[in-house]
Order: sequence, then C-alpha cells, then structure tokens
Amino acid sequence: MVTNAITDSNEKVIPTVCCSHCGGACVLKVHVKDGVVTRIETDDGEEPQYRACLRGRAYRQRVYAPDRIAFPLKRVGKRGEGKFERVSWDEALDKVASEIKRVRDRYGAAAILLLTSMGDGNNLHSGDPIDRVLNLAGGHTSTWGFWSFEQAVFAELATFGTYNCRNSPEDALHSELIILWGCNPAVTIQETRTSWYLMQAKEGGTKIICIDPKYTRSAAILAHKWIPIRPATDTAMLVAMAHAMIREDLQDQKFLDRYTIGFDKFKDYVLGVEDGVPKTPAWAEAITGVPSATIEEVAREYATTKPAALITGISPGRTAYGEQYHRAAITLAAMTGNIGIHGGEVGARTFRSGGRLRLDPALPRAANPVDGGIPFKSHLIPVGSEVSSGKGGINTHQVADAILKGKAGGYPSDYKLLYIVNSNYLNQDANINKTVQAFKAVDFIVTQEQFMTSTARFADIILPTATFLERNAIPLTYGGAFYGFARKAIEPVGECKSHLEIAAELAIKLGITDFNDKTEDQLLRQSVTTLRGFLDYETLKKQGIFKVEASEPYVAFKKEIEDSTHHPFPTASGKIEIYSQQLAELNHPEIPPIPKYIQAWESRNDPLAQKYPLQLTTSHCLRRAHSQFDNLPWLREVGPQAVLINADDAKERSISNGDLVKVFNSRGEMVIPAEVSEGILPGVVDVPEGAWYDPDERGVDRGGCPNILTRDKTSPGGGFVSSSCLVQVEKV
Amino acid sequence: MPQMGFYFDQTRCIGCYTCAVACKDWHDIDSGPVKWLRVQTIEDGKFPDLFVAFLASHCYHCENPPCSLACPADAIHKRETDGIVVVDREKCLGNSKCRTLCLNACPWDVPQFGNDEGAKMEKCDLCLERLEQGRQAICVEACPMYAFDIGPLDELKVKYGDSFEAEGFIYSERFKPAVVFKNKRRD
Repeated sequence: MVTNAITDSNEKVIPTVCCSHCGGACVLKVHVKDGVVTRIETDDGEEPQYRACLRGRAYRQRVYAPDRIAFPLKRVGKRGEGKFERVSWDEALDKVASEIKRVRDRYGAAAILLLTSMGDGNNLHSGDPIDRVLNLAGGHTSTWGFWSFEQAVFAELATFGTYNCRNSPEDALHSELIILWGCNPAVTIQETRTSWYLMQAKEGGTKIICIDPKYTRSAAILAHKWIPIRPATDTAMLVAMAHAMIREDLQDQKFLDRYTIGFDKFKDYVLGVEDGVPKTPAWAEAITGVPSATIEEVAREYATTKPAALITGISPGRTAYGEQYHRAAITLAAMTGNIGIHGGEVGARTFRSGGRLRLDPALPRAANPVDGGIPFKSHLIPVGSEVSSGKGGINTHQVADAILKGKAGGYPSDYKLLYIVNSNYLNQDANINKTVQAFKAVDFIVTQEQFMTSTARFADIILPTATFLERNAIPLTYGGAFYGFARKAIEPVGECKSHLEIAAELAIKLGITDFNDKTEDQLLRQSVTTLRGFLDYETLKKQGIFKVEASEPYVAFKKEIEDSTHHPFPTASGKIEIYSQQLAELNHPEIPPIPKYIQAWESRNDPLAQKYPLQLTTSHCLRRAHSQFDNLPWLREVGPQAVLINADDAKERSISNGDLVKVFNSRGEMVIPAEVSEGILPGVVDVPEGAWYDPDERGVDRGGCPNILTRDKTSPGGGFVSSSCLVQVEKV
Repeated sequence: MPQMGFYFDQTRCIGCYTCAVACKDWHDIDSGPVKWLRVQTIEDGKFPDLFVAFLASHCYHCENPPCSLACPADAIHKRETDGIVVVDREKCLGNSKCRTLCLNACPWDVPQFGNDEGAKMEKCDLCLERLEQGRQAICVEACPMYAFDIGPLDELKVKYGDSFEAEGFIYSERFKPAVVFKNKRRD
C-alpha cells in the first residue's frame, strides 16, 4: 500500500488505474475515509509517472453523481421516453432471463445481439461475462469492427500482416523531425505521456509539424508549424509527397528494394503511368487546399531528415476510404526508410506489440454456437461480401440496418433482443435517427449502465453497474509500461453490481450451472500467470502499480529490419506489402492493391455540397472520453458543447460567437452554440463527438451529438466513417 | 523572510485543465464560479497564422498584497514564515457587506466569492497544508506537462530566471507578485 503523509488514521490511500476508455490508463491514488472517496491524487512515484488527466481527476464526482443509476430500473413509458421505475434485482433479472429464453426459443439465439465496447478497460468486468452467459445459453450474434481504427487495422494487416505497429512514445526523443498527422495527443490520450515526450523532443530541438483541419492544442503548443488540410483528403497529400520525393529521387531505394514489394506499381500510379494523371503537388493542392509548395517542402523535409516520425492520428482514417490514408502513410514511412529504427514511426497507429505487457482475459470464453467466434483476420474482408455476412456476425456499424432489414435484407438473422454492456451505442454510432428507429423496432433492450445515457434511455431494463472504484480488476494499461491492480476502493453505490456479479446472477436465472465457480480474486490471479517470471499476483496486488523498466524504447519491426532473413514480416511475401496480392484478389474497386486516393463521399465536390456546403469533423473533446464524463459539472466548466466554425463562414451567416445555431443535413438536426474561431479551415465545422444526444419534442438534438448528422455507411474495409459528412449551419 | 512563489512554464501548457480540476477535487470546491486556479486562453492572429497560449493563474502571494490592504476586516494577512497570503474566513465580512473590496483591489481577480449572498472570500493558499507536510501543491503534482513549480522565490529565480513576462499576464511593480514565468512568445 502506498502511504501518504496527508492522511488521518481513518484515511486510506488506494492506488489504482483509471479504466475509462481513452488509451491512457493513468495512475490514480484514491483517498477513502469511512468508506467514502474524499480526494483523488495521481502518480507521484518514480518516473516515468503516469499522471492522470482532468477526467480521472474528476472521478469522485462521477462515483457520487446525483444522476448515477443506483438501482435496477424498468421502463414504464414509451421506449426512449426516459420514464422508468425502480425494481428489485430479482424482478429485473427475471425479466431479462425470460426475454432471453423467449427470443432464443422463438427466433433462435442469433436473434440476440450483444453490443459491447471498451467503456471500462479491464480484463474481467467488461462485456466478457455476459458474452459467456449468452454463449452458454445458446449463443448470440456478435459484431465486428472497431469505432476507433478499423481502417487502420485493415491497412496494417494488409501491409504489415500485423496491427502491432507502434513505437513506444518515449521514442519520440530520438526523432529529428515529427509529423503529427491528424493527431492531437494534447487532447486525445492514446498513451498517457505522449504530449510530454513530444514537448521534451521539441525542447531538445526536434522540429514538429502538425497537419490537421483544426488548429488543435497540439498544433498550437507542441508543433512549430500548422498545415491546415481539408478533411478526407489526407491520402491525396501523402500521394503527392511521394510524387515530390520520386521526382527528386529522394526515396530510400535500398530500403524499398530490400523490405517492400510493389513500390514500382505504386510509383506508376503516382507518376500517372497507370491512369494518365500524375499525382503532383499541384494536383493535390486542388484537392487538399494545401499549397503545392508546402507539400513539396514537407516531402523534402521528411525524406531528408533522419530519423523522422510520421505519427498518424486515427481520425483521418475515420473517413470514407480511410484505409487508403493509412496504407499511403505506411508507404511513405517505407519510402523514407523510417521503419524499424529509433526515432522513426511506421505511419500506422493502432497497437503496440504485446511483447512487453501481456494480459489474458480473466474469464474463460465459451464458444459461441451462433457465429463460432469471429476471427480477427476477418477485418480484411470487405463489408457486404458473402464471407463477412455469412459468418453470423455483423459489422458494428450496420447494427441499425441489420435490425431494420434482418434476413429479408440479406443479414444472417432477424434481431429481436439487444444486450448492451459498456457501450453507449446509440450515441456513438452513425445516423442516430436510424438507430432510434431500429431500437424502437426490437422486442427488448437491456443495458448495464452507470448513467442514463442516450442508449440507456431506450432500454427496457437497466442494470446499474459498479465503477472501477467499486470492484477489483486488472486494468488494461494500453501504452503505459506498467501493470496495475485496480483495487476495490469502496462498496458500490446503492445497489450497483459488477459485471461479473450481474452475469453470475443472470446465469442462475437461466439455469446455467457452469458459468463460473471461482471468486473474483481467483479469476484475476489466474489471468496474470503469464506475468510470472518477473511479477507475481500477490506483489502486484499489494503494490497496486508495477512499472516495467525497459532498457530502450520499443521499436516496431526492429527485428524484421535488422535481420530480415530470420524475421520476415508476417505477410504472404514476408515483406512490407505496398502492393498487396491479398487485396488484389478481393477484386474490389474501392480496395485497390496499392494505396490510392479515392474521393470520399460527401466531399466538397459532391453535388450535395450545393445544399450542405460545410464538411463536418467530429474531434475528441477535452472533457470527455468518448461519451463518458459528459455529465460531470467539474468538467462541463471547461466549456460548452459547441460547433467550431471559421470566422469567415460565421460572418457569411451572421453568426457571432456564442450564438445558438442549427447544424443540419438530410439525416438530422442539432441546435447548439457556435464557437467562432480562426482556428479551423474555412468550409469545415467541427462538433466534438461524445456529447449525449438529447432530442427535443421535434427530434432536434439539443445535446450536440454529431451522430445525429453522420452517415451510416461504412468504409469498404468495414470501418466507421465519422468525418465524411456534409452539413449546413444557420443562425437560429 | 523567505517568500514562497510560483513558476509557470507557459511554453509547456497545453491548456488541459487537469490542474484546475485537481485543485477543485483536493480543496473540495463545487462546480461553479469559485476557482482557486483559473486557466485562460490567449488567442491571436488570422487564419492560418495563429497564436494560442494558456495562462494558468493562481494567487501570486504578492510581496505587497493589495487584497490585504483593502480588506476592512483585517481578514487577509501575509504569513511571516513563508509570505503566503491567507484569508481568515471567520473574520471575512462576506461579499454583501464589504462589496468585495479585496477582489476589486487585486489586478488578477484572484479573490473568489461566488454568487451566493454573503459568501466569504476564498482563494489559493498554495496548498499550505501539503507544503507543510513536505509535499508539493496539488497543481504541481497534477500537471502532465510538468509546467509548474512552487518553492522559495529566490530559488525559483536561480532555477528558471527572473522573467515576469507571460502572455496574458501584467506584472505589478507596486504589489510584486511572487511569480516567475517562461513566456510563450509570439513569433
């Protein structure tokens, strides 16, 4: 137990790790007195410290929020109306169990759709316990596809054969040049200490360039130079940079020859041999809005400064054909020979190798009789193909469509029951009005929640769940080089229960006898057996935080580059596949075998732009982790949910800062304040994602959730598309 | 008399508000207008040539604190031992009786009353309780960008230089705020 000087005899300080779905996973030290959380501190131990952000620091307000759901609730009004009454756990679980049985027996287990997300990042109290219960009860339909970075996963699997592609963040200290592309670590915490390492690199003389439609905090503070670019055109700029490099013969040909295949085909495309269109910087200027001289300058700088890190954010990937952005970025990293070396980055951004920190799920999975489990590799299979729909599972972003169309629409089943755990699905997927229709169409919805989120409002039964301070777990520490033990600090508020407890009780109601015969402690103990050798469970539990010392920063693909004979890339060719035979065989016009710029739907050139001339982006919000924390007063003080609009666009519409405006297109409408700024490209507006959808009587969203506007069409690789969306803004 | 003071590296501040929330949690301050630590955004320029900086403001614990001089109830005093300016809330008359004279006197709007009728003044006490126990202030330990330091002003000046300049801050020769900065200068 970590001790703290500022405690009285009744006060304990419990170290834990924030499990809040942002990629950070930071250290919290929770003061508890008489069973109540009184204060929260952060890591003050040895460096590197994993200091929590404002969200973790506000967690006390979350645990004791007046709007916390503390008791099981049953819907009494119309679905979605938000009228509920308190019921006993017994009554709530009886209802859930009887609905599961009814739907299973009448329609088959595939009619039960489980929706989970990463709302609580740990290895036990996730969607896993309910997944196991449902599978033991006959199975359920699963979904495949991440919101965050499906396009990146697709590109990484196609190009590298793996999605473990990131260097550790401290490796930024080795870079001479860093390009932050659509990447705003000052707000979006993918790894706790990224901003700090970037600042140290900057202070040490590293040049940092930020490419983004928005003048983000990272552009303003971490970078030397900001290059604004039109949304969903990043691939065009990357391809034109390749053109500039090839024209001046700046590419690292030795690297390309030795470690990659297909560069010549890409070169033919870039030079226009293939289609008669040379992808010059001037060509890209017309598409991206970035001056050709700037594109040339960045290309030259990137090609001639070594080592250089192209740190790609995953948001440019969340556009139509975002797969191409990630494929092109990786190709540029290869062209500049920045793969597998300190201070380089591979242009991909999904995961870091699990080699350093490994953690198994604490609860064994049970086979799912419906879909047999969806292989991760299936992500290379484009949406709509026979294979992807034939497996039984459905794409995460086609849930509403699948519910509304069912078997008649070519889906593997009709869907009648939604079981939702750790997910604010309705809020966070595209085209809310369609999802509302779908949620109204199913027979039954149960959700395990802490708050009356937009999704919970549509439930028939809400089961109140414990926060990470109210149960034990091993947190997922994502990028941090430490293991943590998230110790239960307090008893759950009201009648809240952990996901494991809920699943165990539901299993009994369903007559399942082999759900789990172990205690929470036993499950956690067995999940860390892989750590044995340098860390045992008791030490971890006692210490709370265990930092792993690394002799040097982790570099992705170091082995493959240093000793390619013995360590080929895990692709079919054993090389970095700029040209992918696997993709060629898909024979899908929107998934070319080499990276290509494909104009996104709802771009500014779309005829629809006559009516809806502004491109919407949906950035991350400083005071939320996706839709979590939106309701906390301490965090709301940081600023209102608003639409960021360029000063010229605002002037044209007689909009002043703070005015209430209508943001709309054919799919939906919201009314929120305008934030008039010079810090966003004209023609682009930004509404940060995660605000809770809050419809008025006309269905106009007063909460400012951008998914009231976004289109529910996935990118061909199956990825969520949030920033290929045209809107108009008018003063109310 | 040693004078405790602040150091703020404005070039490092990403405006993340972690310090502000940590301060509210540690000192148990409700959401609302009372803020012991405020974060201000300074913006300048026209697209695409822009400048943004953030200024985190505490109480500067002035050598000649104007708030103390202005207080009709002698409720604000500067500690001999460390120069920290503290308020005696028992003595404070509250916002309705004295019309917030301390706030009016402070060039940086540090004294906080909130909107409640009769509310008494409160403000940053440099986490006195923590300093006395050999800890750093909560904001210093919270900052993910290591932008703050608190210590004897003389020592801070040796470590960081003696610049009083920062975007959004105006120094007062008369009151002598106990602060040094690293300024995020406009290019």
